[in-house]
Amino acid sequence: MADDRSEPTIGEILQTHGVSRRTFIKYCTAMASVLALPPLAGRAMAEQLLAAPRPSVIYLSFQECTGCLESLTRSFSPTIESLIFDIISLDYDDTLMAAAGAQAEAARDKAMKDNYGKYIVIVDGSVPTSDGGIYSCAAGRSAVDILSEAAKGAAAIVCVGTCSSFGGIPFADPNPTGAQPVSALITDKPIINVSGCPPIPEVIAGTLLQYVSTGTVPELDEHRRPKVFFGNTIHDRCYRRSFYDEGKFAKSFDDEGARNGWCLFELGCKGPTTYNACATIKWNGGTSFPIESGHGCLGCSEPGFWDKGSFYSPLSAPRWGKAGEASPRQVLEVAGAAVVAGAALGVASAGLSRRRQRQKEKLNADDETEEG
Amino acid sequence: MVRIQAVKGLTAIPIRVEPRDSAATTGTIGGGVTAILIEIAAQLDRLADDGEPGAIDLRSLPMSSDDREQLLDALGPGEVTITLQGDGESTICETGVHGVWWSEFRDRGGALIAAFVEIARVPTILPVEPDELRRGAQSLRTGVGGAAPPRGS
Repeated sequence: MADDRSEPTIGEILQTHGVSRRTFIKYCTAMASVLALPPLAGRAMAEQLLAAPRPSVIYLSFQECTGCLESLTRSFSPTIESLIFDIISLDYDDTLMAAAGAQAEAARDKAMKDNYGKYIVIVDGSVPTSDGGIYSCAAGRSAVDILSEAAKGAAAIVCVGTCSSFGGIPFADPNPTGAQPVSALITDKPIINVSGCPPIPEVIAGTLLQYVSTGTVPELDEHRRPKVFFGNTIHDRCYRRSFYDEGKFAKSFDDEGARNGWCLFELGCKGPTTYNACATIKWNGGTSFPIESGHGCLGCSEPGFWDKGSFYSPLSAPRWGKAGEASPRQVLEVAGAAVVAGAALGVASAGLSRRRQRQKEKLNADDETEEG
Repeated sequence: MVRIQAVKGLTAIPIRVEPRDSAATTGTIGGGVTAILIEIAAQLDRLADDGEPGAIDLRSLPMSSDDREQLLDALGPGEVTITLQGDGESTICETGVHGVWWSEFRDRGGALIAAFVEIARVPTILPVEPDELRRGAQSLRTGVGGAAPPRGS
């Protein structure tokens, strides 16, 4: 039978690469588990993927540290990135591609032209807008210009990392480059934010797999993050949660409470206000996550995490709160009422933390007075 | 007055083995494991009545390693063990309950990437698809290099 399709399906690509159907189902079953789908949904996902065209992906890097790409490509298990690179056609990524200069730019132009309206744009990094966007340029063009052009023909934009999702560290006060998240600049395309500094590789892979297999944007939270990964706080799923409920807290990183594995709330853990899958999927192939290694959560998947005061101040500090997507800066001052209320309900530690915060603020004020 | 003897060397400290709190030692099964067993029974009924296979993802449930052992103990050992060699070694073992399979998928590094109980006549990953049968036949014919005419030609 004649086949007039110009693009091979994912199944045909996998066959070419020698990946067996059973192996592919095996990984789709694993990914279904990550996505909280029933195990047998992995088979349905595999069948959908096998018949789907391999989507063209354009990966744009702006103001970023490449940690997000490192997270994906240097994950503990070599299978995640090999799986993801089998199901997508990565037509442009200036960090990974062999081509450079005019050749690389031509590859991106061709991919956008050939797949207009169908390709996926992945953005890694925030976009500087001050002074005509001169703080991030490639091939003589600003990041704003490159993003605007790529977004026009995109089916969807996936923001990988907190920088592209919410501005991240470049957005931190005083934000000298006028860094902005993608959602502040592109308003007419579906945007999926996969935040984290960096995001968990399984979360990046799972989000892409879900989008490619269903062709639809997954259910998102108020910050456009896939609910399946960002539906619970770290605190909700933390194995140390029972110690929080019992009022057992580490007071320093080397006290008896720390040695006993008690809750790190008073050491500044941001788990109660941070939505991410670290406590369930974990890191390094499921080995552990920061809290399991004895350090509190930094809240890196939340908007404005860099500007919320010390990582070691307890959450009852009044600057923590709910962040908004369109204007991340505005939300930093909103009080974290729910968190404080939850802490007060669970234990008396919130009051203790507030007292500690006041003491610290007083000490700081005294220091400043002395210095002045 | 209680007299405490000084401990002389590590060998003076007795070794005490903590008894494992499992169904085998206590004769009781935890509530979570009981719920899973009831769910498995319901899925076996569905398989018998409608032919519909099912599965329970063990990694998505808040189970301790003891819970998992209790579940495995309760299901018991079966007579079939299957090893899948594809990007790492994975095992599928039938339990003592026919039609209930304990599956553990691992990657190349040996890391567990999926663990679930499948309720099916045969694990759904195993049967060969018609396309694969045709490709196999084609490959055999290519392999013999025209030594014998293909069947039906």
